[in-house]
Amino acid sequence: MDRAGTVVLGTALVGVCWAIMILVILGGRLRRSGREQSCEVGDWALLEAAPVRAQATGAAADDREVLMHGLRSSESEVRTASVNALGRLGHRHEWAIDGLIEALADGCDAPVRVAAALDELAPRPGTRLLPLLRHPSAAVRFSAVRLLARYPALALRHVPDATRDASPQIRAAALETLRETTSGEALRCALERLEDPHPLVRAHAIRTAGATAGARCAVLLVPALGDRSWWVRDAARETLTAAGPGVADAMLAALQDHDVDVRGGAALVLQELGVAHEHTVEELHRPVETMLTLVEGGRREDPSEPRRPTPLVRSVVALESA
Amino acid sequence: MTLEALLRASVLACTLYLLLVYGMYFWLMLVGFAETRRRLRERAGDDLDLLAATRFAPGVSVIIPAYNESVGMAGAVRSLLEIDYPDFEVIVVNDGSTDDTLAGLVEALGLVPAGASSREVVPSEPVTGYYRLPGDRRLLVVDKPNGGKADALNAGLNHSRHRYVCAVDADMVFTRTALSRAMREIVSDPAHIVGLTSFFEIAREPARSLEDGMRFTGPETRPIFAFQTLEYLRSFFNNRIPWARHNFMLCAAGAFQIWRRDLVDEVGGWSPDFTCEDIELTFRVHRVLRDRGASYRIACLPDCIGVTEGPDTFRKLVSQRERWQRVILETCWDNRRMCFNPRYGKVGLLGLPYYLLAEIVAPVVEVLALATLTVGAVTGLVDWREFALLTLLVTLANSALTTGALIMLDLNAKTYRLSRMIRLLALMPVETIVYRPILAWARVKGTWGYARGDKSWPRFERNTRVTPA
Repeated sequence: MDRAGTVVLGTALVGVCWAIMILVILGGRLRRSGREQSCEVGDWALLEAAPVRAQATGAAADDREVLMHGLRSSESEVRTASVNALGRLGHRHEWAIDGLIEALADGCDAPVRVAAALDELAPRPGTRLLPLLRHPSAAVRFSAVRLLARYPALALRHVPDATRDASPQIRAAALETLRETTSGEALRCALERLEDPHPLVRAHAIRTAGATAGARCAVLLVPALGDRSWWVRDAARETLTAAGPGVADAMLAALQDHDVDVRGGAALVLQELGVAHEHTVEELHRPVETMLTLVEGGRREDPSEPRRPTPLVRSVVALESA
Repeated sequence: MTLEALLRASVLACTLYLLLVYGMYFWLMLVGFAETRRRLRERAGDDLDLLAATRFAPGVSVIIPAYNESVGMAGAVRSLLEIDYPDFEVIVVNDGSTDDTLAGLVEALGLVPAGASSREVVPSEPVTGYYRLPGDRRLLVVDKPNGGKADALNAGLNHSRHRYVCAVDADMVFTRTALSRAMREIVSDPAHIVGLTSFFEIAREPARSLEDGMRFTGPETRPIFAFQTLEYLRSFFNNRIPWARHNFMLCAAGAFQIWRRDLVDEVGGWSPDFTCEDIELTFRVHRVLRDRGASYRIACLPDCIGVTEGPDTFRKLVSQRERWQRVILETCWDNRRMCFNPRYGKVGLLGLPYYLLAEIVAPVVEVLALATLTVGAVTGLVDWREFALLTLLVTLANSALTTGALIMLDLNAKTYRLSRMIRLLALMPVETIVYRPILAWARVKGTWGYARGDKSWPRFERNTRVTPA
């Protein structure tokens, strides 16, 4: 075959391929419009059918086997489908909840998915979650601690121990869970953790203390405005702002603190509370540079960094100019 | 060497190039089909509503850099605030706009000045003001002097408080399930997925292209948008999705990119030293993680998460593509030590060589082919019959590739009406003849601009709106 013949043949072949692809599109559309969406054969058909059948008939023994088998599948999509099917069945069948707890403990699917399904089923899982608090996997312990937020009584009894877990993520999660109980025990745990070595835990301890004690703990949280970590400083500012005008006295006192970050944080809190203007007027005699330092909210490690004017500073400058 | 021998050598080089490049294109398309099949099965068993409502969903900070985006900015922010996702914040960074972007936003949304502080983990221009939405802590507007898109993204990063950051373009309008779809993928393997991008549609006026904030009304009928639609389909279904499957994602699209925040902190944020920031960050993440020997993935979703604005004139289109070409060249040159380097795995052995062939060498081959054709025509050495057949072959091959992408889209979403799809199919052969030469011209211009050291990023002039923002 000569060169032209080769090109003709190639063109014809590609043309045929294209025509087939067009037919695939059109055929697919016609096929889909002719019937409802179907599921695939094999495991998929069973997984799709299981929740429907179990809910319709109540006879779930076969479905349990299929879904538990699906949790052990080598394909992640099948495991995910099984978890979701168990989640839908959990409202009616205890074995589905047990299946989900098993899935979480064994790491069958992403912990977020399994935990989300279990969370939807609250309060049914209840005490069955407790063994997960001692699971060797931090991801499982984390999920268990957060799931217990739906069960305040259980949380108060079992979660305080988790605030001393080796993993900072779990200590933080435990404080977050306890925060939702707004109890004295939560406050005690939070105050214990204010000096935790990990900033995430300190930040959660501050938020928990604020949520449980409000403005009463303002004085205890003031040092956190000057924490070495931005996350902790930010948590302290937000918590103190959320506590309301009751913290104003503590904040005004903090404006005299020797630490620039404490002063800056206190100024921001006062501004958010709407009492900054009064204070600003009092402070007008200070030079602008001092005010810039006062409201500095950025990183404290590098004092040579240029000052960043904030709205408060700009208002001070404007007042001075006036 | 005679002229005829030179022309023969040139034709041979071009043919070999075509065979190599189209071989890669078709291989990637097949990979795309395999990935589509996997995702269809996955989606059949997943529960998006559950993730959209659970408190176990990881938090996301969405960063919108805005420079002179008064047109449509408020709509974009509103569409973001309406997203169904339990834990997210929106950080709009006004990058020293000279128009009324900030004032318009403040007025349209009723924003008030507020206090905030920055982590300052990456350098950015100093912040001059903060604004918040009363009663909704999810929105923070940061005002700062102009420093470019990368600088604005870095300012947003400094204020982000969630584990994931999502950088988006100011002209994007999002579907309500955008974040839950994206995060569904990430939570399936949070230990490894460090970044994600997703398919999005293109329209003249994004806000009018989504029905009820969910359903894309279909590709526009004007040829310039239909051609761009076809190009976007190929770029996602035939490129990004197969790249992601083989773990050598080369560009997390700047219009929608999610990254793990600690990683972006660690690599130093977005770089303002490049014409465009998205490809460069993707390559830098690869470089840092591969140097460290980390196991990671950058994923791509076939789901339509929103609609972006496409240029409505060929002049704007050429300008945009010229910049894209420049940034590809800048990034590839900056990462040249990764190319063919086994230390960088598939990124070095497949990804960069692919870019080299399909994007960098392409303008050279295009110029060579044109020169060969011209000289051949003048000297009477061109066999016009063969030329026509070759053109037809390339046209059909392109059409087959684009049809493959369209099939994948249809399997995934089924959003296009049949009439629109037939229209797109009919335009496919025309695209090769009409649209591709324009892109080739833009690439030649971009290559020339790069050679001259041009780093300018002229603002993309927004399309005129039919409806008020």
